[in-house]
Amino acid sequence: MTSSIAVVADADTVVGFRLGGIKQGYVVETTEEAEEALTKLIKENTSIIIITEKIGDELREVIEKFTKSSALPIIIEIPDKYGSAERTADPMMELIKRVIGVEMVK
Amino acid sequence: MAQEMIEGINPTRMELLKLKDREKLAVKGYSLLKEKRNALIMEFFNILERVKGSRQIVEENLQEAFDDLTEAQIIMGDLAVNKASLSVKESIEMDIDSRSIMGVVVPVVEYSSPQRSMVDRGYGFVDTSVKLDEAAKKFEESLSLIIELGEIEKTIILLAAEIESTKRRVNALENIIIPRLENTVKHIEMRLEEMERENFVRLKVIKKAMERE
Repeated sequence: MTSSIAVVADADTVVGFRLGGIKQGYVVETTEEAEEALTKLIKENTSIIIITEKIGDELREVIEKFTKSSALPIIIEIPDKYGSAERTADPMMELIKRVIGVEMVK
Repeated sequence: MAQEMIEGINPTRMELLKLKDREKLAVKGYSLLKEKRNALIMEFFNILERVKGSRQIVEENLQEAFDDLTEAQIIMGDLAVNKASLSVKESIEMDIDSRSIMGVVVPVVEYSSPQRSMVDRGYGFVDTSVKLDEAAKKFEESLSLIIELGEIEKTIILLAAEIESTKRRVNALENIIIPRLENTVKHIEMRLEEMERENFVRLKVIKKAMERE
């Protein structure tokens, strides 16, 4: 299985990960651009896609559509250089809470 | 309790046998699904142990990496950093496999991050700063952490979806389908017994009538 990894993020994050050794970096400014890049990458069967939390929050529905059903792609949300956004709800914790019924971790 | 039943079933022996078979199957399926649910939840807890805190580690690591990157940008200028970053060679060596947890296919990422020296990265040394090397190193480190975290989070998402649907099915069987089948079976049995008693009485009456003649 060919495995590829890509970054869809703001300019600085992409530069950072290029230094870290990811060749496929897509600099996006607007939500539309991000969605376009994401759909394109998914169509190309990219295995791992790294996005920023900001994009993740904006494109929540698009991402859930792809992450819920199949094993790949793995979409990972990371904070950008301004640090982790103060989120009202961490999607991971929400999920765990819903499944188990009580808050477990942390 | 409302005696819910399956609609449109004739109280015959044939139907009774069929229903009893269905009930047996439902009970069997119920116990199997229940076991599946328990196994999934156990697996889920195992993975929760692994995810604990690993997000924080990733975030701290990234923060450091971004700090170094910003410093490099201050020293060298945005453009030079961009230029250097474009000439960095690909570092990822990974293999994605999948394994199955109770029928849920989850990805397993095998990732090796080679410890690269500055020379391997591929940018020139003349116009780059030490900070750039440090930033690159930090990003490589956080990259492997991120990939690991991604694998775990993906597994959690997939497992959670499966647990939810299994839970729903277990509940549907336990609370709706099995009681309904039981009630219908009981109803048919009662009807059949009632018919037998009716027949018995009818025969007696006929017998008496014949004796009188």
